[in-house]
Amino acid sequence: MSKQRVMFSPVTRLSGLLSVDAVLEKGKIIDAKASSTMFRGFEQLMRDRKVTDAVYLTQRVCGICSLAHGAVASYLLDEIYDNNLSENAQYLRNVMYAAEFLQNHIRHFYLFSMPDFVKMPERPPFQGQNLTDARLNPEDNQRLVGHYFEAIKAAQRAHEIVALFGGKAPHQHSFLHGGVTVAPTADNVNRAVFLLDAICNFVKSCLVPDTELIAKVYHDYFKIGITPRRLLSFGLFRFGLKNEVYYFKGGVLEGNNLSLPRLDLISESITNSWFAMNNGDLQPDPHKARAYSYVIAAKYAGQYFQVGPLARMIINGRYNGGTSTMDRIYARTIETLLITELMRDWLMRLQPGPPPLAQKDTPIKTQATSVVDSMRGCLLHSAIIQDDQVVKYNIITPTCWNFSPRDAYGQYSPVESALIGTEIPRPDLTYTILGRTVRSFDPCLNCGTHVLDLKGNVKQELMI
Amino acid sequence: MKKEKFSELCRSLAQSKEHELTRAILPIVKKQMLKNNKSKLPVIWLETNDSGDNNISFMNTTFPYLGQVLSDMIDLLYSNTFMAAQGPDALNILNQVSSLYRSRFTLVVEGAIPLNSNGLFCSIALTPNRPVTALEAVTTLGNQAQYVVAIGTCASFGGVTAARPNITGSVGVRDVLSSRKVINVSGCPVNPDWFVGTLAHLLMYGLPELDKLNRPNLFYEYTIHRHCQRRSYFDNKDFAEKLGDIECMFSQGCVGPRTNADCPYRQWVNYVSWPVKANTPCIGCTNEDFPDASTPFFMPLNEKVSSRAPQVLFKGKELSDE
Repeated sequence: MSKQRVMFSPVTRLSGLLSVDAVLEKGKIIDAKASSTMFRGFEQLMRDRKVTDAVYLTQRVCGICSLAHGAVASYLLDEIYDNNLSENAQYLRNVMYAAEFLQNHIRHFYLFSMPDFVKMPERPPFQGQNLTDARLNPEDNQRLVGHYFEAIKAAQRAHEIVALFGGKAPHQHSFLHGGVTVAPTADNVNRAVFLLDAICNFVKSCLVPDTELIAKVYHDYFKIGITPRRLLSFGLFRFGLKNEVYYFKGGVLEGNNLSLPRLDLISESITNSWFAMNNGDLQPDPHKARAYSYVIAAKYAGQYFQVGPLARMIINGRYNGGTSTMDRIYARTIETLLITELMRDWLMRLQPGPPPLAQKDTPIKTQATSVVDSMRGCLLHSAIIQDDQVVKYNIITPTCWNFSPRDAYGQYSPVESALIGTEIPRPDLTYTILGRTVRSFDPCLNCGTHVLDLKGNVKQELMI
Repeated sequence: MKKEKFSELCRSLAQSKEHELTRAILPIVKKQMLKNNKSKLPVIWLETNDSGDNNISFMNTTFPYLGQVLSDMIDLLYSNTFMAAQGPDALNILNQVSSLYRSRFTLVVEGAIPLNSNGLFCSIALTPNRPVTALEAVTTLGNQAQYVVAIGTCASFGGVTAARPNITGSVGVRDVLSSRKVINVSGCPVNPDWFVGTLAHLLMYGLPELDKLNRPNLFYEYTIHRHCQRRSYFDNKDFAEKLGDIECMFSQGCVGPRTNADCPYRQWVNYVSWPVKANTPCIGCTNEDFPDASTPFFMPLNEKVSSRAPQVLFKGKELSDE
């Protein structure tokens, strides 16, 4: 049987624009290229602006995880300005961060992933659904469709908590360097607790059992979409006077070897990305031969690492499964449940008082790098400044880890390695299987559209 | 159902009791309306170069909630974010519905359109032979649509995607579809009420009254400053000394005096707060010149204006490659 090319484009139900160009032979995917087809150029945009603009501007990198960019930019500025964070600031920041996680994970499971497994009503926007492998019995199916519409309200409530303390969502205003500009008060804390109650109920009575049901009925997906066991997390939920404590620890897991992440081991490749070096500066080049994506490949110690909820949960000993499509979905739900519990605790620890904000005025550093996990995994912001103006601003998003193109040595990124080798038992299942596996990474391509040149590491691979 | 048959049914049931006539004809009317698409607005939604914040903000709509918007207000025929169909099935749907609903559908565009390199900085999909650029898709579908709605500031005016130095040459939809009216529902992100309200107006009453930037007056007629709860502080020259204070945010960079939107009374996400209520400045995200005329965000408006270099207002209309 000859080779067959499959152009999976557009991959719908995600953030941003993604295509997967795959090759099938004898009922097996033998090649797959994940291609991001959007480029915005945020690092160029950040140059020659005040570094304090970073919190609001970089949130515009991504609509579904905007608060994460605002948070990591705030940590960066905390370091540059040497701010001290009060306890109220720490709890309030993490309450907001947790709420942003909840909306993301709930929306991902129900709005994006669930139509891969559940028969949706036959009307827009669900028309044309591929139902060749819809396995739920009618009662279960109907219940989960109902939960789709409940999920809309649960996620809205999570963003209502962000807006309550942050002024608006997406792109909140109050989580800034030095703390938070909104005062915790009896009424807004109380309101957040009751909103959280409703979300908690939803997570416990719908998300958790629905995930278990999908995992049971589609059990074979624990053997599909497996990636190498190389997992990376920068850690999540930063506490402490100087943001020095991470509630979920960061880690590098290779097989069973766990170590702490070292930023100097991060490098990146543009071999197959639509970028070229021009006078020492990275520039987009949409006509570059053989390149197929606007995502730059981020690597750790020269290798690709999977990032996201699965990496965080395994590294922190909260999940002990594998690295398959269903493991990624399952770990995300476990994390959601954990976060609802943590968030309640943090809310209760807030003490009524003035806005917990103390910003210092003078930078004590000219460069800094800050890291944290966002919903989809490792997020890094790095800045070089002169006075308080940005000379260089770099961002590495989780998309650069999970959705990168292959490097100069032909190594596959996590999403490509998850697809290559997958069996396609019947031709009419091709897009179904591809879609389930690709979406289990919670793709976000708005984030992937950036240029990085951390300590000149890019140049090393350019020689090839 | 044929007209004669319908009349006959009405006659025969006219004398009956217990609303049998109503019960009999309502489903027929509903079916007929659905068939003619009189009851719901057919919408094709293209995501281009943006952060995806506008579709997330749209999901935050309350009264109606997103589920109600999708089931009772609009037929979302194509949407990268929400549609169940995927891959070539999705592209086929786009081809089918754009011809089936030609001149009747509303095109919603979310994101700016890059013009440099023939539009290759944003493709909405790849076919085995070639990419379908946002430039091509918006141009083609925009000329077939009944209404074109730009959601968010990127789609309206270029926004953050077109901020200096704008190396992709990104512009708003109005610069791609210069021969037709584009309704701009700006905001970074859009407030869900502004967008859902605009769709409701199109559905119930047709084109809304627009301001000089083609934004619905319904939401953008007055400045933030005019309706701000802290206006009395401004009038008394009582300015905040720092972020987090309760006084007027003009001293902290607020651009409310030159920003049209109804945030002070409408507020965000189930109407709970807005940036000034959060003790921070309005950053003017609905403006034609956002973000370049708003940065540095925390510098008072009068100083921003005087410190701005001329190239900051670069609009990105040049095509650098060709």
